[in-house]
Amino acid sequence: MLACSLLAVSAWGRLKPLSEPALKDAEALYREGVLPDGQSLRGTRAGGEAIEGRAAACANCHRRSGFGVEEGRTIVPPITGRYLFRESTGASPMVHSGAEAVSSQRSRYSSETLARAIREGIDPDGRTLDYLMPRFALDDASMALLTGYLKQLSSHPVPGALTDIVEFATIVTPDADPVKRDAMLDVLNHFFDRNNAFYRGADPTLQGPLRSHVATGRSWQLRVWELTGSPETWEEQLQRRFKADPVFAVISGIGANTWEPVHRFCERQSLPCLMPNVDLPVVAESDFYPVYFSRGVLLEADVIASRLGAEANAGKPRRVIQVFRSDDIGAAAARQLAGALAAAGVTVAMHELTSRHPARELSGVARDAASADALVLWLRPEDLKALPADASAPRRVFVSGLMGGLEKAPLPQTWRDPTRLTYPFDLPTRRAIPMDYPLGWFRIQHIPVVDERIQIDTYIACSILGEAASTMRNDLVPDYLVERVEVELSHRLINGYYPRLGLAPGQRFASKGAYLVRFADPSGERIVADSDWIVP
Amino acid sequence: MSGRGNIPVSLRAMLISVLAAPLTLWAAAAPVSDPGAADQHEFAAAPAAHSPDALPLATRSLVNYLVPAIRLVRDDGKDVTLIDELNDGRPVVLNFIYTSCSGICPLASHIFSQLQYQLGAERDHVHLVSISVDPEQDTPARLRAYAQQYSAGPSWQHYTGSADASSAAQRAFDVYTGDKMGHTPVTLVRMAPGQPWVRFDGFATADMLLKELHGQGQVMAAASPTRP
Repeated sequence: MLACSLLAVSAWGRLKPLSEPALKDAEALYREGVLPDGQSLRGTRAGGEAIEGRAAACANCHRRSGFGVEEGRTIVPPITGRYLFRESTGASPMVHSGAEAVSSQRSRYSSETLARAIREGIDPDGRTLDYLMPRFALDDASMALLTGYLKQLSSHPVPGALTDIVEFATIVTPDADPVKRDAMLDVLNHFFDRNNAFYRGADPTLQGPLRSHVATGRSWQLRVWELTGSPETWEEQLQRRFKADPVFAVISGIGANTWEPVHRFCERQSLPCLMPNVDLPVVAESDFYPVYFSRGVLLEADVIASRLGAEANAGKPRRVIQVFRSDDIGAAAARQLAGALAAAGVTVAMHELTSRHPARELSGVARDAASADALVLWLRPEDLKALPADASAPRRVFVSGLMGGLEKAPLPQTWRDPTRLTYPFDLPTRRAIPMDYPLGWFRIQHIPVVDERIQIDTYIACSILGEAASTMRNDLVPDYLVERVEVELSHRLINGYYPRLGLAPGQRFASKGAYLVRFADPSGERIVADSDWIVP
Repeated sequence: MSGRGNIPVSLRAMLISVLAAPLTLWAAAAPVSDPGAADQHEFAAAPAAHSPDALPLATRSLVNYLVPAIRLVRDDGKDVTLIDELNDGRPVVLNFIYTSCSGICPLASHIFSQLQYQLGAERDHVHLVSISVDPEQDTPARLRAYAQQYSAGPSWQHYTGSADASSAAQRAFDVYTGDKMGHTPVTLVRMAPGQPWVRFDGFATADMLLKELHGQGQVMAAASPTRP
């Protein structure tokens, strides 16, 4: 045993830690299939197909964290140094759901046998690797680079997870609604307290075998990072917070007009940013760490575009008026919709609401809209209330459900009939049963429901975090958390307001569609679907 | 749900099948002449050959699947019904993919690409059908981009639709696992409407599929396709 350890030390001891530039080169090789000289990594799949570049990148299957993934009956094994070279850590064994079964059945790799595996597909015991593993052409220098990269991959001390306590942060922007913020924090605090109630101490033998939706490995701590001032200063505030108080991941959170500086901070800091309560996210699906419930008002814009655009193609000329406030998220949605409609040959008039008491402005818009084919309202409930009740409503009205309060949108009665509400959730009657579980949990925890949507979404985010974390066991690595979220998400039956949630590499928005709904009665909140579930 | 999700058992089975493959098989194999390689540029040094026999051997069975009336969306954006798409008189070769998949789907789609190539002049007399198991992500535009990666011709079409429609299609062919990442390689072949489906669990190579298509006589024996 000692001899083996000495041999192991000598085998990879020859490898020096990678320098900064070498690390960048190695990362490009691993994640993007680009060799240090700029050429594409080349490989051959089973069956003879040649692959190169991005399609050949190790990270595609072994994932960014190097911990691999399960697909059907296949397990893509972990290839981090600790699994390949079995470096002794003295801590409890690293266990990935199926990896232990794979790696314990073979001898440790050395630099030489690893090179042979990558080039020729033979493991250290002379067995052929799984058919999914391609053969790669790598010269000795690139091979040494890759080996050095794998040795250190996901093997560093992780900020926020250095001790028995895993630190999390939730981020609140200064323009967030304070009632929603408190409602969210109520759920978060209860969730973290409940997690810690199961924590039985550092000794793993005291951990129960239960795999509840709450992680039981360690104690969790929640930091609340309240941002101040203008968005240009937020990234710097977050950097200072992180430096003073490193965290493992960012969970939930709440924003209003923009989440962009938070998104950028998390991506640059390699911090998972899981499912914040924002109706205007950042759309950048090639980013990795920020993950969202949906594209929010941008999704709503695309849904309206698909309804209007489809009709424009029938040949009839269309003129559409949009109403929004420049200091709210409706502006971004209106721009998105305007772009999509223009592409379909529809004329779009943009009306920026400016008065604090917009009744007269809105009457003017309503008059103008009488001659338009559709009016789109990106407005909050207080503005919807100011719509002219006495005048006849335009022929067709679209209202943002997210902004207007969903079925509670306070439209005047004459406006209800021609209105179609964008509804990026399952219908209330359909989601009633799955909602029983989180609502029941609120009751048991004595959490007053002051904003059901925010609180349910926060609950779902916590639940997803708990499930993903529980499958990581001791491999607490931020990249791995995001990957486990991707895998675990589509297994869920309870998704709050959403009919289903799903993610995959390259997908950062878990819910992808919406209904258009109309009011069933002249008053009240009953709505019926006016469309199928639209995925634009 | 079927027992397909039982990973440890399947993993043992897979290790056993891998161990059983003679090591000399791939070592001695000459570089595989990939029909698709013709349009790939030259490289300074090529990766080692990866034998087609490295693919887990597919098991073949005959099944009479009932195809329900499912509405799908074809990659050209058209609303279609699955029954009509499968019943234009041509033999059908069917698989299930999703565009974000990194493991099984590239292999499965490459096989279709090879099959298409090997069919040569006969290729428009066979309908290759790939149905998405991640329909909300796989819009027609994404499917077209995916199809282009594999040089799909007009007789190889990709399909999406609502989440329910995709699930229904998967259930109809007994490939449903409840989760896109739970899928296993399956290829289905039917020579003509009314005939049973040939089901390959595991990877059916292009050669095997071609043999299947020719095993019933000439591929062109079927009626010429009636495309809506």
